[in-house]
Amino acid sequence: VTAPEARLGNDIARQFAHLPDEVAVAAIARHIETFWAPPMRDSLRELAAHDPDELDPLLASAAGLLHDKATRTEPAAHP
Amino acid sequence: MTTETAAWAPERDYGTPGTAATQTVDVTIDGRSVSVPAGTSVMRAASEAGVDIPKLCATDSLKAFGSCRMCVVEVGDVDGMRKGAPAACTTPCADGMVVDTRTDQVRRLRRNVMELYLSDHPVDCDGCSRGNCEIQALATTVGSAEVRYGRPESRDGVARPAPVDDSNPYFAFDPASCIVCSRCVRACSDIQGTFALTVEGRGFESTISPGGTDFLSSECVSCGACVQACPTSALQEHSIIQLGMPTRSVDTTCAYCGVGCSFRAEVTGAGPDDPEARVVRMVPTKAGGANEGHSCVKGRFAYGYAAHRDRQLSPMVRDSLDDEWRAVSWDEAITRVADGFKAIQSEHGVGAIGGISSSRCTNEEVYVVQKMVRAAFGNNNIDTCARVCHSPTGYGLKQTFGTSAGTQDFKSVEKTDVILLIGANPTDAHPVFASRMKRRLRAGAQLIVADPRRIDLVRSPHVEAQHHLPLLPGSNVAFVNAMAHVVVTEGLHDQEFLRERCEDVDAYLAFIADPVHSPEATEEITGVPADELRAAALLFARGDNSAIYYGLGVTEHSQGSTMVMGMANLAMITGNIGREGVGVNPLRGQNNVQGSCDMGSFPHEFPGYRHVSDDGVRGIYEELWGRTLDPEPGLRIPNMFDSALGGTFRGLYVQGEDIAQSDPNTHHVEAALRAMDLVVVQDLFLNETARFAHVFLPGTSFLEKDGTFTNAERRINRVRPVFGSKVGKDEWEITCAIGRAMGYDMHYDDAAQIMDEIAATTPTFAGVSFARLDEEGSMQWPVNDAAPSGTPTMHVDHFVRGKGRLVETEFVPTTERSTRKFPLILTTGRILSQYNVGAQTRRTSNNTWHPEDILEIHPADAEMRGITTGDLVDLSSRVGSTTLRALVSERIPAGVVYTTFHHPVTGANVVTTDNSDWATNCPEYKVTAVQVGVANARGETTAAAAEHPLPLVEPVETHA
Repeated sequence: VTAPEARLGNDIARQFAHLPDEVAVAAIARHIETFWAPPMRDSLRELAAHDPDELDPLLASAAGLLHDKATRTEPAAHP
Repeated sequence: MTTETAAWAPERDYGTPGTAATQTVDVTIDGRSVSVPAGTSVMRAASEAGVDIPKLCATDSLKAFGSCRMCVVEVGDVDGMRKGAPAACTTPCADGMVVDTRTDQVRRLRRNVMELYLSDHPVDCDGCSRGNCEIQALATTVGSAEVRYGRPESRDGVARPAPVDDSNPYFAFDPASCIVCSRCVRACSDIQGTFALTVEGRGFESTISPGGTDFLSSECVSCGACVQACPTSALQEHSIIQLGMPTRSVDTTCAYCGVGCSFRAEVTGAGPDDPEARVVRMVPTKAGGANEGHSCVKGRFAYGYAAHRDRQLSPMVRDSLDDEWRAVSWDEAITRVADGFKAIQSEHGVGAIGGISSSRCTNEEVYVVQKMVRAAFGNNNIDTCARVCHSPTGYGLKQTFGTSAGTQDFKSVEKTDVILLIGANPTDAHPVFASRMKRRLRAGAQLIVADPRRIDLVRSPHVEAQHHLPLLPGSNVAFVNAMAHVVVTEGLHDQEFLRERCEDVDAYLAFIADPVHSPEATEEITGVPADELRAAALLFARGDNSAIYYGLGVTEHSQGSTMVMGMANLAMITGNIGREGVGVNPLRGQNNVQGSCDMGSFPHEFPGYRHVSDDGVRGIYEELWGRTLDPEPGLRIPNMFDSALGGTFRGLYVQGEDIAQSDPNTHHVEAALRAMDLVVVQDLFLNETARFAHVFLPGTSFLEKDGTFTNAERRINRVRPVFGSKVGKDEWEITCAIGRAMGYDMHYDDAAQIMDEIAATTPTFAGVSFARLDEEGSMQWPVNDAAPSGTPTMHVDHFVRGKGRLVETEFVPTTERSTRKFPLILTTGRILSQYNVGAQTRRTSNNTWHPEDILEIHPADAEMRGITTGDLVDLSSRVGSTTLRALVSERIPAGVVYTTFHHPVTGANVVTTDNSDWATNCPEYKVTAVQVGVANARGETTAAAAEHPLPLVEPVETHA
């Protein structure tokens, strides 16, 4: 069974996959910081660390960029 | 509690509609001078001057007809030249006109006309004796005490005796009382736009007919406009016969769909606390900004659920889900809730509990729930049922325009030339707005329907769409990109608007001009022939005022948010934003779904769509509420379920949402609910979710609420209590009591005080108060110093976010695909007579029209499977299966099946999946890969019925 954070995160990652990797990864990270509760962000980091195969590579990279605190304003849907 | 109630009096009837003319003319009527807009009828001018002219066929909701001849007046011009005795309703005022309504000639004419009417009107007309008939009063007024031609003694003695048509569950038609004034026929055609009624025969043989059959079998949609228009008791509500005429009335707002119609609840009894008081009827008010005097079968008639025997009036608790419910005091129930939540938090952490607020509740009730969660629970685990319907609207319109709401008022459609309707079925789901739309279409506007299903608006009496684009479920973004591609590559984009008002323009234009977005390249994805899509795009781009209206067929997809942004792009590149007649207009599902979102029901946002991490905003609430607030977003509804199954989320307060029936993948939801230590349900009924609850708190119906609802056009309407709370508390009081029992002091004297707090802390509501709403009738937010009476049209000179942002809306297909095992795509929708999961409408006679959910299947798919109409079929997806009856129909394309989700026995959401919108997690209800086959057990009971212990609720006629 796929972890919910992997399923939801992969859905986000697919939306940004057409962008250059660096841009996409930053956008995914900002989106997750804005809308995900901290325990879900922690779970995503755990998955990236221990089970990265479950994650879209862009999502796995984004997990490494997550700030500890929520983004203060909503990021652009597309940078 | 403040209960504003007035002695019963119908809204004033000026006889003919007003005109929009700004130029005025002066006339003299019975010696009184009056100044009216040019084009105003003599009848209306007289009424405004305080002179009542007798009338039968005239009413101000309908154009003048001039048939009854009761309103004759004498008209002289300025030179004293007699102009004879014309009908006041059809004669427009001319400057200097002199009118006399009281001359001997006029009196004689009227008396004669009335005698002719009475000569075929039975003496024992029950409407006359009851007081629900204008003829009796008028006969007295015009002095027709005696009828020289005689009167039929009974209804059997009229010229053309006919049986009463009792087929409709809410009203009867008695031809004996009918005077064939055609008000009903005109109401059906001009107001409702259904054209179900006609006049059959000539002379004494003339009779009103619903197309040669009875009302129930006819095309009648039971909106009740004919009943309201009828001047006699020929068309009369059963409730009038059962309960008599009302004694008082209360102006309030409907609690069904997002149109938010204004109604006058007409009531019997001495006052709000009279236990015998009953609603006699709901009459739509002409002053209502959303509906202007019209209604549908739900709002007008389906209020009986509020007094249904299933209604729970006492708090109840039980120790385990296997135990029987035990009625307890409010104190015991509240203590149980608070102790349970505190115990969970002390063992599993502050974030282990949360709440869900309801779009069926008032702004004030919803605001208090999010306050309880944020301040008393100490986390942001608050979400609302908008999660499963229009959350992508909030996200998409905020990203592009800067505010999470539609751009227009409903009236705007009167200025629209081209309507693009996407994924919405207004004649079923938003019927009162649909009537407005049809009126505009009859007046010449053109229509493009983008929907897999051939909805009624594609072709119905006097309405035909120029284009029906039956796009495949899941292909919306490809479709809207193709529309924009045609506009841009044909050079039809509004370059000035883009230059002045928008940003990211060049990047977007380059993106969308790429041939991968062309109708030809996307034809295989959308299923829409390229040439037809091109023609539709050109029509939209060339319209003077083109407007987009959309529903859940846009939002409930894995790319719902992207699609909302795609529509915003299309509106911006064609310059269709910021004036009347244009815009991007969500047709919101529930009565207060806009309001519940506005009131901070999302886990990442305070009221007014301000992120919880914003120190300034959080500071406002921390100071006012006296608590440190969590700066991090909380859990959304599906996150709560996932966390419950993971063991970290263990307590839930659910107000007025039946998540076990309405949320996707029912088995998953039920497992999550079972995994929790404490589930608290606050509702009118023991709903499906209550099967998993430990505490039940009885809620109040809209007839008992004091507060406000905000409709799809951002219109804040007052909801006023018709009765006192039947459960002893207002819903916000229950919420406050839980907060207090958990150690956080929250208290209000009344609902008005809650709105004052909302206004003080939310800039878009700054100018809102109950007193101001009572003055204005309603106001559309933003209401502030710049717009003290509200804002009908948004983004007029600039967007709320400054420049409108064009977003590159890449089409990313859903992962839900048809396979060999599940070769069909299921999509879902609503039907006129039922509402959402049916908790209300199933407890009314609306079941007459829709007693069960039906699966529509294309003839080719049906034949392949040996399915014929009426067969029980199994519907299965990768997550679950159910059984329902099939209807073979060409309304849906081959490869797609369709059903509604109104009945728990069907449980359509047993088959829907966990897939959701990437940005907001709005479920992908509209795309599920399924298989359909003839059920093994053809017979009376279905497999689904056997699995669900709740019996089908039989139609019960009750009165609130």
